Amino acid sequence: MARARAEQQPATTGMTLIVLVGLGVAFLLFMAFLNVVKTGNVLTESNLLYAALIFYAGAGSLYLGFGVTGTESYVKFASLATWAGLLANTGAVAHRWYAAGHPPFASIYEMLLSFVWTLAALTLVAEKKYGVKVIGTITLPVAIVGVVLMQLLPSEVRPLVPALQSTWLHVHVTLAMLAYAACALSFALAMMFLIQDKVETETFMAGTSLFSIATYAGILTRFENGGLSVVAWDTANKSEAFLSRGVRLFVVIPDLGWLMVLGLAAAAAPFAVYLYARLKKDDSFLPIGDRAIFVSLLLEVLALVAFLIRARDGQYGSLDAEGLFPTSLKASPFILSGLVGSIFVSLLYLMLLWRRHDLERLLPTAETLDQITYKTICIAFPLLTLMIAAGAYWANRTWGSYWSWDPKETWAAITWLVYAGYLHMRITRGWRGRRAAYFAILGFAVVMFTFFGVTYLLPGLHAYA
Amino acid sequence: MATKFGSTGRKLWQLLSSVKTGVILLMVVVITSAAGTLILQRPATEPDEIERAYSPQVLRVLDAVGLTDVFHAWWFVLMLLLVSVAIVAASVERFPNAWRYFARPYKTTDESFRRALATQKQIPLKNEESGLVAAERTLHRMGFRPERLVGEEHISLFAERNRLSEMAVYIVHASLLLIFLGGIVDGLYGWRGFVSLTQGEPVNQIAVREGSAKPLSFSVRCDGAGQENYQDGTPKRWWSKLAVLENGREVMNKEIAVNDPLVYRGVRFYQASYGMTGKMNKLLLTATPASGTGQAHDIALSLNETLQLDPDTAVQLTRFIPDYVVRDGQVYRRSEEPQNPAVQLLVKSKKLAKSVEVWLPRIPEVAQNQASPYSFSPRDLQMGYFTGLEVSHEPGQWGVWSGCVLMGIGLVVAFYLVHMRIWVVPVRGAGGDLALWVGGTANKNREVFQQKLAKLVDQIQNELKQRETESEACETKHAISMVGN
Repeated sequence: MARARAEQQPATTGMTLIVLVGLGVAFLLFMAFLNVVKTGNVLTESNLLYAALIFYAGAGSLYLGFGVTGTESYVKFASLATWAGLLANTGAVAHRWYAAGHPPFASIYEMLLSFVWTLAALTLVAEKKYGVKVIGTITLPVAIVGVVLMQLLPSEVRPLVPALQSTWLHVHVTLAMLAYAACALSFALAMMFLIQDKVETETFMAGTSLFSIATYAGILTRFENGGLSVVAWDTANKSEAFLSRGVRLFVVIPDLGWLMVLGLAAAAAPFAVYLYARLKKDDSFLPIGDRAIFVSLLLEVLALVAFLIRARDGQYGSLDAEGLFPTSLKASPFILSGLVGSIFVSLLYLMLLWRRHDLERLLPTAETLDQITYKTICIAFPLLTLMIAAGAYWANRTWGSYWSWDPKETWAAITWLVYAGYLHMRITRGWRGRRAAYFAILGFAVVMFTFFGVTYLLPGLHAYA
Repeated sequence: MATKFGSTGRKLWQLLSSVKTGVILLMVVVITSAAGTLILQRPATEPDEIERAYSPQVLRVLDAVGLTDVFHAWWFVLMLLLVSVAIVAASVERFPNAWRYFARPYKTTDESFRRALATQKQIPLKNEESGLVAAERTLHRMGFRPERLVGEEHISLFAERNRLSEMAVYIVHASLLLIFLGGIVDGLYGWRGFVSLTQGEPVNQIAVREGSAKPLSFSVRCDGAGQENYQDGTPKRWWSKLAVLENGREVMNKEIAVNDPLVYRGVRFYQASYGMTGKMNKLLLTATPASGTGQAHDIALSLNETLQLDPDTAVQLTRFIPDYVVRDGQVYRRSEEPQNPAVQLLVKSKKLAKSVEVWLPRIPEVAQNQASPYSFSPRDLQMGYFTGLEVSHEPGQWGVWSGCVLMGIGLVVAFYLVHMRIWVVPVRGAGGDLALWVGGTANKNREVFQQKLAKLVDQIQNELKQRETESEACETKHAISMVGN
């Protein structure tokens, strides 16, 4: 079935993809070049980060190239590019550490820097130690989205506010980054397991669709009269604009909301097709779903471009205050990374659709993958536990209470509980294989929500992260 | 009737102690706490914000079921208690078996046991004793401590490592209960409050969150507070010097800062906020004799304080106006903000037999400065500050911290320590030929253990070979010496 559908794939679409990826890399290189020309200094943190981005993106596109052409040597080069990216990333981390005088854990920008570093390092470990050669197919897009996000987040070294001047902060955040990177790896491994375990391609289609639905639904929480409400940007202070202390000023970009609704509809179409095919028990509808994914990919790109053009600068009205206010991409990092992330997920699905057999050939056996997934979670879980404990201890020294049910805390506890559930089911009830893999994927989804979703949707004490 | 109750009781017990129930309970906790972060919570939001967000009907329903304060709702607490009970039940159900396994390890090797063991190998052998010795040596070299067991038919060896690993689950669960216990103790006996101290005034009552005042058996006094800034003006550090007084006697003092509280008798004081009271604390100024002869004095005055400048002259600080304005030759107080402060000094001179009022800064309409025997120039005005302190009493936190440490240890033991057991026994095969049977198990990481056992077998074989050549050499030597005789 999968083979038959893989063969339906016209070669021209593959070429389009290569051209798109090539254009993307060229664009990044051009931007990097502009940056060097502007500052005249080569070895700065932002240039190192750009280099890391280019190498990661190169590795990512090589994996995609492998996906399109099935040439195995691409995978080897992708691994080399990952090494180069990690090297540049290490440089950026070191530069940051030196410039700021404290380990890079104090702002969400610095945390992402450490997270991406850990993720790339773990990817290489999984490649070398466990022989999961194509693991980067999933982890690198995560890293790329991370670096893209970093380009937008406020990156200047700010002195630590009093509450953050604690060794416990560093312990807490180091543990968090290590744990989250391990969770990301376990997620990638679980996906690989599902591929190797002959899970039907349409199940991945439904998953892809669900991810995009969740992303667009998240973005549409800011839907406002057909427009999209985004945070205003304070150009003078280079920060988000505030109405009053702790209350951000939102401006509405007209019409963008409808485009996002369209994106949501397109994202939901493949899932609807999947449900219909399941209900009718008729697989002949499924190719329509694949086409719908392609359509939704195009719409996602359209939404991203429209968002880039309209939110990059420009003055918009606000519902809460008179007059026009500027906004900037920097004010909406989460919307942007959501848009980029869902494009990546759709691309990955297309890659799976076209090149499943080559992937399967390169992967270790399902049983090995299952084992390594479990082992990674065995690493992640104690780290999560210690991360929460260190955070509680720090909170106790700073706010006088070790647990205050703030959203970030609560979601960290939820993550811990989900993984605890996984371990119980695996150890005592012998959950192996698919069910365990789905549980691991759920765990990572919760991790992502804790890391990004909570910051975007649920305000609380963790204001600086 | 009794049996019936017994059977429902047993069923309930089975239900509670099953892992499935535990995981389902965990997932219910997950879902409700997620709801608690998505729905606006009463303690954290302003009442009118919550009223704006939900319609009155919806809000009434949410309030009724406790969804606007999930984490303090009775059913949420009940659920956490149920989780604890499930953990206890599951542990009680499984612990005796595990303990038997832990306390009385299975060391002997009968035939059925040997047949059942998954990982095993046999080494051909000539002599029972030399086989055992070789195995012992090899095990020692690999870091085991083999013990000899004398059975009915033969002597066997048993070696193990990290037996504690079998108990790890109970360590982790016990630590979780300890954390819960700490939380419950704090929920029942702990409190949180806020106190605002102005410099020099001791306080022995704390305004508790719930609205009442909590008397303390001691009092605290602030001896100074301040803020340090970074170069760009953002705050770097807030600090307060605190003293603890018991029966009027100072028993403790500490400079606290954010992240570094003062703890006295289980009550913790945290730096929370900081600001000005609008009152002055001290004025530093220089007094120079108007005649030009004599020494200039650097003096410090607080409100209403009198200071002798020379045997004839004294100065008193009589008024402080934080924000002054002059109208019709009169000085008025415009606001309480210390934006434009002025002070009035009274200079009393015995020699001139009169008092002179001096305003600082100089106010032309009301100036009498020329008549003063001293001229004054202000150096620094120190304002009175108040410091806001969060106060908490958490008697259960030690349960929480020891629980965290114990859990860390438990998890490391659970995930990274492997309980390995190895049995060695000389056996006779069906054909009557002697062999050394080597078998083992591990409670996790089985592939690695299999490799380890294979290595062990290899090394025993090497050891045996070595011993054989040695003893052969020895025999030859013996033979030669016999011949020599």
